[in-house]
Amino acid sequence: MRWTGRIRFLFLAPAVLWVLAFTIFPLGYSLYLAFFKVEQKVEIKRVQQPVLDEQGRPVLEDGQPKMRNVVLRENVTTATFIGLDNFRRLLADPQVRDAVRVTLVFLLLAVPSELLLGFLLALLFNRQIMGRGVLRAVMILPIFATPLAVGYVFFTIFYEVGGPLAWTGIPWLSNPTWALVSVALVDIWQWTPFCFLVILAALQGVPDDLYEAARIDGASNWDLLTKVLVPLLTPTFVIVLLIRLAEALKLFDIPFAMTGGGPGTATQPYSMLAFRTGLRFFDLGYASAMAYGLLAVVMVVITVFFRRMRESYG
Amino acid sequence: MRTRTMLLLGSAALALLAGTVRAGQYVDWNADGTATLKLGPEYDNARITVPQSMLGSAFGPGKQPFKGVTISVTVNGAGPKGGISGPLYSFRPIWEEISGGKVNIVELPFAEHYTKMMLDLRNGTGQYDAFMVGAFWYGDIVPAGYGYQIDELMKSGKYPQWSYDVMPPSLKTLHQWEGKSYGVLNDADGQVLYYRKSALENPEHRAAFKAQFGYDLPSPPATWQQLLDVSKYFNGKNWDKNDADPDSGTVLHLKVGEQGHYHFQSLSASFVINPGDKVTRTQNVYWFDPADMKPLINSPGHVKALEFLQELHKTGPAAQVGWSLGEAWDYFLRGKAVFVFSWGDVGALCQDKARSKIQGDCAAAMLPSSDEYWDFAKQSWVKLGKPRQVGNTTGGSWHGVISNYSANPEATYSFLSLMAIPPVSKLMAMYGWDGVDPGFSYQFLKEDGGTASLDEYVKAGWDPNDAKTYTRAYKDLFYAPTTLTYLRIPGTFEYWDILDKNLSAAMSGAKSAKQALDDTAAAWQGVTNRIGRDKQLADYRAAIGYKE
Amino acid sequence: MAEPARRGASLADGLASLAAVCVAFVFLFPIYWAFSQSLRNPLDTFTVAGFGIPWVNFTPTLANWIDQVGTPETLRSLTNSTIVSIGAAALALLLGTPAAYAVARFRFARWKNRDITIWFLSQRVLPPVATVVPFYLVMRALGLLDTHLALILVNATFVMPFVVVILRQTFLDLPLELEEAALVDGASHWGAFWRVALPLAAPTLAATGLIVFAFTWNEFLFAVALSSRNAITVPVHIAGAVDTRGVQFWFMGVRAMTAIVPPVLIALLAQRYIVRGLTLGAVKG
Repeated sequence: MRWTGRIRFLFLAPAVLWVLAFTIFPLGYSLYLAFFKVEQKVEIKRVQQPVLDEQGRPVLEDGQPKMRNVVLRENVTTATFIGLDNFRRLLADPQVRDAVRVTLVFLLLAVPSELLLGFLLALLFNRQIMGRGVLRAVMILPIFATPLAVGYVFFTIFYEVGGPLAWTGIPWLSNPTWALVSVALVDIWQWTPFCFLVILAALQGVPDDLYEAARIDGASNWDLLTKVLVPLLTPTFVIVLLIRLAEALKLFDIPFAMTGGGPGTATQPYSMLAFRTGLRFFDLGYASAMAYGLLAVVMVVITVFFRRMRESYG
Repeated sequence: MRTRTMLLLGSAALALLAGTVRAGQYVDWNADGTATLKLGPEYDNARITVPQSMLGSAFGPGKQPFKGVTISVTVNGAGPKGGISGPLYSFRPIWEEISGGKVNIVELPFAEHYTKMMLDLRNGTGQYDAFMVGAFWYGDIVPAGYGYQIDELMKSGKYPQWSYDVMPPSLKTLHQWEGKSYGVLNDADGQVLYYRKSALENPEHRAAFKAQFGYDLPSPPATWQQLLDVSKYFNGKNWDKNDADPDSGTVLHLKVGEQGHYHFQSLSASFVINPGDKVTRTQNVYWFDPADMKPLINSPGHVKALEFLQELHKTGPAAQVGWSLGEAWDYFLRGKAVFVFSWGDVGALCQDKARSKIQGDCAAAMLPSSDEYWDFAKQSWVKLGKPRQVGNTTGGSWHGVISNYSANPEATYSFLSLMAIPPVSKLMAMYGWDGVDPGFSYQFLKEDGGTASLDEYVKAGWDPNDAKTYTRAYKDLFYAPTTLTYLRIPGTFEYWDILDKNLSAAMSGAKSAKQALDDTAAAWQGVTNRIGRDKQLADYRAAIGYKE
Repeated sequence: MAEPARRGASLADGLASLAAVCVAFVFLFPIYWAFSQSLRNPLDTFTVAGFGIPWVNFTPTLANWIDQVGTPETLRSLTNSTIVSIGAAALALLLGTPAAYAVARFRFARWKNRDITIWFLSQRVLPPVATVVPFYLVMRALGLLDTHLALILVNATFVMPFVVVILRQTFLDLPLELEEAALVDGASHWGAFWRVALPLAAPTLAATGLIVFAFTWNEFLFAVALSSRNAITVPVHIAGAVDTRGVQFWFMGVRAMTAIVPPVLIALLAQRYIVRGLTLGAVKG
């Protein structure tokens, strides 16, 4: 069904070469850090050297040669191969287990909700309702809201001693369980519109005759939904799910701003732990191992998932 | 008539001119050997006149020692009118005028400043000449050789003159490492107690308190145990008429990753630190055993202090588990808590009408101390008849450290030291917006052994009563006979992060106090082993001044 | 556009309208709240009752806006973000669209089409912390620290997967007959792509461009690592509203609004394309 022809490489190559060129060193380097214990130090030596003019003669200032500071640096790096030590540490580390748990709970709370809510909203909006254009425009806004700012804004919304949601009496941010729910709620707020828009567009591509044909066959509303729409929309659901999963696994900005990962570590997802480990404690080898551990697991899941979804991704 | 006025004006002008040798936009060099620094509206257009020698021999009328030199200084981003960064903007034009150089002020987001500095240092980039560091960063800067020693520059007499002698010993050690100097005087951080005097001295409350607890309401409390009682008494009552809702006892800023662990540090100091003249294995230690680097953080003293903090937490809003400085201080400044123990910023913010409803009723005092502490040598509790004073220097005490990669350390040093000379430093401490808090002798009042007068504080906008208790509280804090040891070893970030997370778990009820601190100690052992036990031991001993 | 026909449409539609308005309100509220925060005095940050309506619940002030909007950092970060986002989006579209077409229409026997797509998708899975330091070293070696170019290059790399994954599906859904007809008429593959497939995919192209624009606009980690003064972007500027004294919510409100406005303006202008274009599985005619 598909074409062959040498030109296909010209279409594909620029993107592939670009990504390879820009990621090969970073990926290689971080992989290297994961498998080696790298200790890096810079030896600094300061000397005073005379300032020379174009002819190479020393410039004089008040009769003395003008001196300037020259800083000599010597990179001293020692690397010892430690094999799978970082990965072994990963598997045994209770902090990692905790972060994985937080990430998984968050995923289960947020992603299905976004998909479901997006789908329901798409069904709702797929009618002749007043001001549909304006409402759709409003639904776009959350996608463009910088997550960091969103985190801080929701902090004030969830403020428990008098904020707009304080009347519920819920300890939004001070209770470990509720804090994770709050983080999920913020994510749902931010990403449901994305799911909604994508699914709505797909819904609107469903031709009228399909509905009529189903009605003629005696289908009820429920049958229409489950036996016609859902199967038709499945490829869309899959793409949205994949994109949301990949992004949700990297959840960082919202808990960073809103809870700092707390109380305790109740809202510290995997990506935040990796961030702290790599860029606050500068334990870069371990942070790389964390990142690659995640990548490995996700790739396995995706590959297995796709062996079974051959139709959508043939 | 008009000619006479003109003549008068003319002669006045001549007289002025004769008095100045060279008048600039920001600095006047005067004929009598002084120089006048002209500050902007953020400092009420202050004019500071100093002997020209105080600016150093490299500077003078007509001299431009650093012409063509550009230096960059990184600082926590807060803008030209914000804390710590603001003064850099205020003094930049002055320095640029007398030196001929240029300053790039690189504002970095507060949370990322340390990371960017480390990226720069560890990879040999050397893009910046100086960093306004927090004292707890020293362990990652100095032992590795990334800091520039300033002893020679200080002694040379060429640059603005200031001295460590004005610093209390507890603050001085934060600027040095093994006797060598790295930090230029700037800010002094430590936690003191702020309290609502009107509430504590209200006769109705005093009577009711005595009836309930059996002793007179102490104003201010001298021990933590007393403070807890008072806090319990006031919690839940509407004792403050700024709003109609019930108020709290003590408010804390416990949010994870946001300086919440300092509360525990300041409070537990008096439960843990054994007094003594020197640093020994059992005296004046808090973090690790200097003999073998075994963590002390889960000692009975620490555990009891954490349990105490959990009790104290119950006398404040439950939400404070997720509150950072802004929210907790806002709660206090709106009048909703009797106590808060935190940094000098609170006292300054109290005076700001845009932030506070309690100006004039914002007294400060030395932190209370525990009426008992855990003796490491005797391995038992020691009950004290009289409360002792245990100080702290918790916080950043943000100040300039010159990068050892800098090609222009002299220029950089002259800029930093310009803000360290006594008359400048004194002025900076009086203005709260600049984030520079008092800790040096000329910033304390004369009656407390300093050289500042109350009028100067009042002129800067302080309520006189607040200013009096504020300066005395800090003097007592920094000159206390015993002080909490400050941790400045490599990996301090990681050690404190682990402590912070476990403390937060304890405060939110996820772990017991003992469990939290035991977990901390266990994790700390892992970090120490990973960084290198012997190296850490050596650096720790150097940092706390322990000699075997 | 197909619409399901319903009996008793007006009542159901009326209820649906009401529900839609409620939904829109819920999604608009936090943005409105940020706006409300930006108009408050610091003391009113946490104490305002009800819905924080200016003049009704508190006395608004323009002081925060006046203070923040004119600052060089605000203008610089907005300019930088616009340049970087447009640059990265353009680059990603330029390189990614042909690649998407290739994976949709051509057969790659050695590396299967599915695997190529998964490889692109996997670029988005790796937590960025793993690659921040090496990218820092690369940019330093190239002398590109604190420049727009560095951020454009890095962001283009990491948003390209969106282009490939989304547009691949779009091309797959185009009827093959049109392109085949062009080929039969003597056009090259490039001609078929350029003159037949691309115009048909244009709405999705615009939509995808907007998505990658948004992702680059919101990117924080690489921005903070690779910039220090000249190339700071909006998220870095927003993080700067947090200082040693905590979050300054009144400034945060202003910065949050300035962060939303440019992308939203662009989005609204291209709104029709987004809505029509974000069709990932069933655009027919």
